[in-house]
Amino acid sequence: MISPQRVSAIATNTVREAIRNKVLYVLLFFALVLISTGVLLSTLSYVERDRILQDVGIAAIRFFGAAMAIFLGVGLIHKEVDRRTIYTVLSKPLSRSEFLLGKYLGLVATLWLQMAVMGVGFAVTSWLSEAPLDAGHAYAIGLAGMEAALLAAVATMFSSFSTPLLSALFSVGIYLVGHLTRDLRELGAASGSEGTATVTSLLHRVLPDLESLNLSIQAVHGLPIAPAEVAFAVLYAVGYSAALLVFATILFQRRDFR
Amino acid sequence: MSDAPEEIVVVDELVKDFRPGFGLRKKRVLHGISFKVRRGEIFGFVGPNGAGKTTTLKVLMGLIHASGGRASILGHDIGESAYRRHVGFLPENPWFYDHLTGREFLDFYARVAGVGVAGRADRCAELLDRVGLSHAADARLRTYSKGMLQRAGIAQALVHDPSVVFLDEPMSGLDPIGRKEIRDLILRLHTEGKTVLMNTHILSDVEMLCDRVAIIVQGRIRYEGCIGDFLQNEERATDVVLGAVSPDVVEQFETRFEAGVKGRGDRIEFRVAEKHLEEVLRIALDTGAEVKAVTPHRVSLESIFLSAVEAEGAER
Repeated sequence: MISPQRVSAIATNTVREAIRNKVLYVLLFFALVLISTGVLLSTLSYVERDRILQDVGIAAIRFFGAAMAIFLGVGLIHKEVDRRTIYTVLSKPLSRSEFLLGKYLGLVATLWLQMAVMGVGFAVTSWLSEAPLDAGHAYAIGLAGMEAALLAAVATMFSSFSTPLLSALFSVGIYLVGHLTRDLRELGAASGSEGTATVTSLLHRVLPDLESLNLSIQAVHGLPIAPAEVAFAVLYAVGYSAALLVFATILFQRRDFR
Repeated sequence: MSDAPEEIVVVDELVKDFRPGFGLRKKRVLHGISFKVRRGEIFGFVGPNGAGKTTTLKVLMGLIHASGGRASILGHDIGESAYRRHVGFLPENPWFYDHLTGREFLDFYARVAGVGVAGRADRCAELLDRVGLSHAADARLRTYSKGMLQRAGIAQALVHDPSVVFLDEPMSGLDPIGRKEIRDLILRLHTEGKTVLMNTHILSDVEMLCDRVAIIVQGRIRYEGCIGDFLQNEERATDVVLGAVSPDVVEQFETRFEAGVKGRGDRIEFRVAEKHLEEVLRIALDTGAEVKAVTPHRVSLESIFLSAVEAEGAER
């Protein structure tokens, strides 16, 4: 049975370690700089300045969220094994699934903390530029957080059995393909070949559909966003991440820590 | 009621195979080893580097899955995780979360081990004091010396007050003062009635600390038992130094007692089995030789260890 106390101990330690890691502050600094450069970019255009400003801002949050999820996620388990800290932790009455879940939740908390800072940066930049802000922007940034959480699960899964380099390659691959699965499915359907359509439809179902977590266009253009659509996207991300973590746990249980 | 000592750790025909790399043949590192650790003893698990000591401890801690055989701790099969509530573990050359302070570090392990919030801070402070790290409680682990880290490692192993403690090379890489500190800590655990299983290849520490030992060489147990029993089982010998011995007496010693005599005339020396000592001395005195020295030869654990290693090598 999963113990909340043990899971939260691992998660808290993961957050604390990340917060004390200076590299993350550098990444966060660059993210905030990129969000602010939206102001400069928007001055290059006479029309739709607000749209450019907010497009750049949300894109920066989404990109840095995904980059940090992969950057931190691929080393999440490997670092514990490499530094041999895992020996003492797993020698305690803690199951491997609790350890993996704690590490993942700690990583997600770290990502959301950073993305919250970026979100505040985005709001301040928009407010200073007198660009409109509404719930749509909050939804878009929130779903960017869910995308980061899903990518963190992808990276954690690879990290549970592979090296950081390979995990990074696989995770980046999933990230890129994850944004193309809808297009692939539509291309397959339009190809006229039943086989191609089946394969692309299967790929769309099996691989993460990261575009379902992208509401930036609607948010930036002020288009209506149905709360049900957001709720479905959140459920999708939670379900997909949970499935990945279950798979990661199965792989992790079988591992020998030599 | 039986007076037999309770067996806390039971290892029965344990086997471990590793695959050195993808597509390569499996290599057996533990060849069906068996041994038992009794309640309240300090048990030394001794062997040269690469003998399988660390692998055995990792199997017992659930960090490595056994390929065959069985092992139980406190009556629980090692496939379960419940026994870990009662076991503390210090790995070899431990490395800890160096972003934490000593106090945070212990608090983290206490939480992971399920120590309740009530009294947790006191327990951590008490342990830091016990291992002599109170002065560095608020310093980050990255500023600790090797000896301090080793003591912090022992503190984390004890944070949930286990009744069994596994220590993997606890004195490795420490200076004499550090080794003495760790030795004292281990003896204190023994005094408190905890069962200690210690992996080591430092034989002087084993002789000083352990009640019983098992010697493992290339994944096979060569000896298991009390150190005293080992020494008793070995044939006792005595080094004898004589002066003014005639050549025919020397020849007699060599043929009758199989003594490898060194030197000639004024001073000869040889080692003779204890059972022949009286006769040797009588002959020496009757023939007018001068007895210069008679020194009992002490069979050390080291000589037993070396003969076990050599025997394993000869069998291959």
